Amino acid sequence: MTSPRTAHRLSRILAMLPWVIANPGAAVDEVCSRFGYTRAELVQDLNLVFVCGLPGYGPGDLMDAYVDDDEVVIDMADYFSEPLRLTASEGLALLAGGMAVMSSGTAPDALGSAVGKLQAVVLPEPGSIDVEVPAVPALVGTLKEAAAAGSVVRITYTSIAAERTTERDIEPWTVFSTLGNWYVSAHCRLADAERVFRIDRIRSAETTSETFQPPGETPRAEVGYTPGVDDVRALIRLKPGAHWVTEYYPTEILDEGPEGTTIEFHAADPLVAARLLLRLGSEAELVDGDEVEEARNRLRDRILSRYGVTTP
Amino acid sequence: MQRVIERLLNLLAFLLTAERPVTAGEIRRTVAGYDQDSDEAFRRTFERDKDVLRQLGIPIRLQHTDAWEVEQGYVVSPSEYALPDPGLSDEERAALWLAAQAVRLGGQAPGPGAIFKLGGAPMTGAGEPLAADLGDDADRLAEVFGAVSERRELQFAYRGTKRRLYPYGLAHRMGHWYVVGALVGAGEVRVFRVDRMNEATAVGDAGAFRRPQGFSVAETIPDVPWEAGEDEAEAVVRFDPDVAWWARRQLTARARVSVDGEGGLEATIPVSSVDAFIGWIIGFGDGAEIVSPPEVRRRFVEHLTGIR
Repeated sequence: MTSPRTAHRLSRILAMLPWVIANPGAAVDEVCSRFGYTRAELVQDLNLVFVCGLPGYGPGDLMDAYVDDDEVVIDMADYFSEPLRLTASEGLALLAGGMAVMSSGTAPDALGSAVGKLQAVVLPEPGSIDVEVPAVPALVGTLKEAAAAGSVVRITYTSIAAERTTERDIEPWTVFSTLGNWYVSAHCRLADAERVFRIDRIRSAETTSETFQPPGETPRAEVGYTPGVDDVRALIRLKPGAHWVTEYYPTEILDEGPEGTTIEFHAADPLVAARLLLRLGSEAELVDGDEVEEARNRLRDRILSRYGVTTP
Repeated sequence: MQRVIERLLNLLAFLLTAERPVTAGEIRRTVAGYDQDSDEAFRRTFERDKDVLRQLGIPIRLQHTDAWEVEQGYVVSPSEYALPDPGLSDEERAALWLAAQAVRLGGQAPGPGAIFKLGGAPMTGAGEPLAADLGDDADRLAEVFGAVSERRELQFAYRGTKRRLYPYGLAHRMGHWYVVGALVGAGEVRVFRVDRMNEATAVGDAGAFRRPQGFSVAETIPDVPWEAGEDEAEAVVRFDPDVAWWARRQLTARARVSVDGEGGLEATIPVSSVDAFIGWIIGFGDGAEIVSPPEVRRRFVEHLTGIR
């Protein structure tokens, strides 16, 4: 078996050689810093290169590679004078990372010019890739600082779907971004449990002078939902156009066919399901769930009355 | 490991300087490190070595050794091997490396291999990570990106239907990757979500299509769902004071906004998909009202009264 370490080591050698060839007289320290080498690792790789070369494998066929007076010397290795092209995933990772940071509005000028130059060699035409990440909410900085300092934060949080705004003290652990939104995971003192809050729904946050002891091991930062015993449940039939619901909400698929999908929907508050049903309109049908049906009808009637429509 | 790397360097040096296709037999006789006793042992070693080279992205091809097409040999063309020099400064390399570390693709942080190829950068402190996860399966995304960059046809299954696409571009919006392209044979430009594709594979030759002049993926993919579509409406919406902050955080620069004395908001919003727009406004419950145009207002009411 060839280990990933072999591939990694070979790849670093194939990158280091052309750079040293293009920059004769490079200092050992500089090469180490650029390519993440320790001095010993670099010398080891140079010794390895030294015994390789072209068929014949005599003194005139092998590459020269050694350290002389603290300079790295590579000679007789013209065929390795160009770096290897980037793979698709390497090109994508660099461009996507660069463009994501640019769109967040915190990028240095050098990043913009670097992304432009890289695009020109990786992509056939301009305008083939574009990456936007949502603007970083203003409170991200406050929450990150509080998490680092172990300060308790008092937040005003609105659950849009449940139409509830609460004030609560949280012990922020980790600030992260996924699927287009920013979140903070924390111990919530109001719920006395771990909670994940969407930061754009925090209306205000105030760092208090109180501190907390962070947990020894921070739980993995992720957005999830664990159905609770007090949850409301509803049986919903989704037409094919509404199948995406199963990818975004905690649901259990009971039946899947060409005409649609039947799911069991869990939520802590019936209004969450009610609002979803109103959005889906004729794309979904509530099969079973009295509490959800009542919440849905009440919300629908409240909205319609604003439009001067009364339902019988 | 040492011996494996020596053999691979010798093989690569030989292929890069051969200037012609070389057969496996010639490699076995000529290149140091292939002195395995049996045919079988040589074959296994050689197969493994080719895999490592391909994994690194080295373009190793099979080609006929002569005009009679009797024998095939291996080729690594120096021009296909080499990365065209993008001419980056040290500052630019460092900025790229910092940025790459701030994001994740499919949960993975990129390794330093790419930045090494570009000439390396100090591997010191990464500073404050942005910690943005750009989502999706990294391998599938790389396959799609490869098709875009090489202009190859992309085949995939989407909601159970097989699709053939000339991919013009790739974009990331609101946590999802989208590919824009023309359906092969139909010419119609369509947008697909990458995470909903199955078995995405780039097929056929590179340079299989040309994009329309002046195409830009950024302009093809909208910022918000209601700006994607073929409707042409301008809706005026009133948001009550208690939801105004939430509306304001979601409106794009294309909306015009005015504030009333109590903190409520009146917004004039360009709408290209009335359906998506209705779904979004329902999210505000009775805290928002579509004031005009009457046609959009009527469809909103119909949408709600049709629910049973």
